[in-house]
Amino acid sequence: MEALKLEQVVKQYGDKTAVNGISLKVGPGEIYGLLGANGAGKTTTMRMVLGLIYPDGGKILYNGKPFSDELQHMMGYLPEERGLYPKVKVSDQIIYLARLRGMSAGDAEKSLRFWLERFDVPEYYNKKIEELSKGNQQKMGFIAAVVHKPQILILDEAFSGLDPVNVELLKDTVKELRDQGTSILFSTHRMEHVEELCRNITILDRSNTVVQGDIREIKKGYPREEVALRTVGELSGLDKIPGVSAVQKQERGYLLSISEIGAAQRILQHAMAAGEVEHFEIKEPTLNQIFIRAVGESNE
Amino acid sequence: MNKMGTIISFTFKNKVRTKSFLITTLILILLISIGMNIPYFIKVFQGDDGAKDTQIGVVAEQGNRAAELLLSYAPPATAAADEDEDTDTVAFKAFASADDAALKQGLDDEKIEGYLTFDAKGSEGVPPVTYHSKDGELDKDLKTYLQGALQQINTQLIAGDKLTQEQVAAMFAPVSIGTQQLSTDGKDGAATDESKPVINYVIVYVLLILFFMSITMTGNMIAAEVTSEKSSRIMEILITSASPLTQMFGKVIGIFLVGLMQIAIISASIAINLMLPHNASILTDFDLDLGQLNYGILVYGFILYVLGYFLYALMYAAVGSIVSRTEDLGQALMPVMMCTFVAFYIPLFSISAPDTMLIKVASFVPITSPLSMVLRIGVGEVAFWEIAVSLVILLATTFGLGWLAAKIYRTGVLMYGKRPSIKEIRKAMKAYKI
Repeated sequence: MEALKLEQVVKQYGDKTAVNGISLKVGPGEIYGLLGANGAGKTTTMRMVLGLIYPDGGKILYNGKPFSDELQHMMGYLPEERGLYPKVKVSDQIIYLARLRGMSAGDAEKSLRFWLERFDVPEYYNKKIEELSKGNQQKMGFIAAVVHKPQILILDEAFSGLDPVNVELLKDTVKELRDQGTSILFSTHRMEHVEELCRNITILDRSNTVVQGDIREIKKGYPREEVALRTVGELSGLDKIPGVSAVQKQERGYLLSISEIGAAQRILQHAMAAGEVEHFEIKEPTLNQIFIRAVGESNE
Repeated sequence: MNKMGTIISFTFKNKVRTKSFLITTLILILLISIGMNIPYFIKVFQGDDGAKDTQIGVVAEQGNRAAELLLSYAPPATAAADEDEDTDTVAFKAFASADDAALKQGLDDEKIEGYLTFDAKGSEGVPPVTYHSKDGELDKDLKTYLQGALQQINTQLIAGDKLTQEQVAAMFAPVSIGTQQLSTDGKDGAATDESKPVINYVIVYVLLILFFMSITMTGNMIAAEVTSEKSSRIMEILITSASPLTQMFGKVIGIFLVGLMQIAIISASIAINLMLPHNASILTDFDLDLGQLNYGILVYGFILYVLGYFLYALMYAAVGSIVSRTEDLGQALMPVMMCTFVAFYIPLFSISAPDTMLIKVASFVPITSPLSMVLRIGVGEVAFWEIAVSLVILLATTFGLGWLAAKIYRTGVLMYGKRPSIKEIRKAMKAYKI
């Protein structure tokens, strides 16, 4: 059974439809990517999942059951804007939040210390949030979201504003949580994170679902349109090959755009006839390209 | 309930630990201590304790009738009788001329404050008098004293032998005016004719001011707290952790305890100041007798304070949840502040006339009733059923408002951007259960 299931969920603000019939399923131990341009309805969807706002139509089921207040204890949420008291000590507020979600003071304290150790910042225990840098505030926000060991974790732009080292750290943590069976709903603008973390994604564009499914399947559905080629010598006449729409000369080798997959073989033959080939690859479309195409197309 | 306790203790601890709370409380204690010790300080700075004996020289030739009378002048017995030994006395001493060596010596030693001379004799009564002193000033008390004395002598001179000295003194004795309240229902004149002891007025004053201060201070605290939680988006996490109703009441109660503690600290500092040895006579000086205190007012005052506090605190919380930025808060709070002012000033200005129709009406209207009722119970005439009805109305309103405020809170904390219109709030409120 899915840990989280959305069925044709609709949310309207006045005349404006914020989310138009989104359906998705997140299994246990899965990271689900929610992508979309700004204002596409990601945060609204997440808020509905959290029970902060109610959907105007459709159903949201948690382990097959509808929302109830008890569910709040098994959910963790990291909002896009941090959501911590600036003037309160880290320990005070995180233990407070954990206790509100049903933990005992002792367990909350232990869990907080564990997480501070995990992020290598035990000295923040007695610091106020406003004394920390933005990135570190975000780590504290993350701890606040996971301190009570939630089954469903909702991360809204969890990695924005972090340096690469911390992004790695947080990514590893998220993967660990996934391996422990946490279901994670994850939104971001950074496609490489999605490709690395998520099995399934939904791309939203102005409240509508435009692309949905397993990332590999989605990629298969998009034509392969690029060929990377590196040879020992210079090549000429690449642009004369039928099916090649553009040739880009790069520092080492070429990047060719093709309009049909057959052209790839013709390019390889042409290159092999001309000399030694060092590298040849028919590139998969990146999620970035898919995103731009999906969102771009529906905008036209 | 467990969550409620967590929220209350978190709110309380965080508020009490803030610098602003510590500083405000310290300043209040300091002001109270200074204010209550001012009479003592004045005494200390004047450098005398107890009676002040002033010697005034009277320079006149032999046979000056006015000077003779002045030298034998004694202040009216009535004034001196009910004052204690601390009364200042003025002694007159005769000198033949201003060049008298003994007078000069006395002025130099500061044994004699100054001396009086009489101008050439006028037509009748006391001729114009001039006061000579080193600093050329005549202090107010002394001037009053001299004026009184000379006035009486003037009368004596003009009336001559037609009146005895006692008759003249009697003329200057103040006429006493007593008061007696008439019983309107005519059934028990004796019981109502004793006027309310002054101590009750003082207590009502203190309660009014404490209530007003407490409401404005804690109310603003609550509103600011809610708005800042909203603007820092921590609200989104809080609401997903505990129900909005629990959230709001937890905060309101937490801050209520903060306010209560502040009042306790203030009361304690008043009590300690009263117990200081040099302030022992402060109550009797002002004619206050704790034994005359109407203790009912303290009990009712506390009940009214608690209910009134919740009524206002919930309004502040509701308004705080509507605005998204602390900068907008002041403006949005204006209507609530107005209510507080009205509730405070109606009884404050009616303290000397606590039985007007205005106060009677105000003591039943929930917004104004907590304070107006305190006034009526303390110094006015009020029947028990009136208190009961007023309390029931207040209680019902507080519950109703609590429900409404929770709705506004639940709705408001998730509305961002511009201040929502009343229509928008109403529409959104229908969508959420509490």
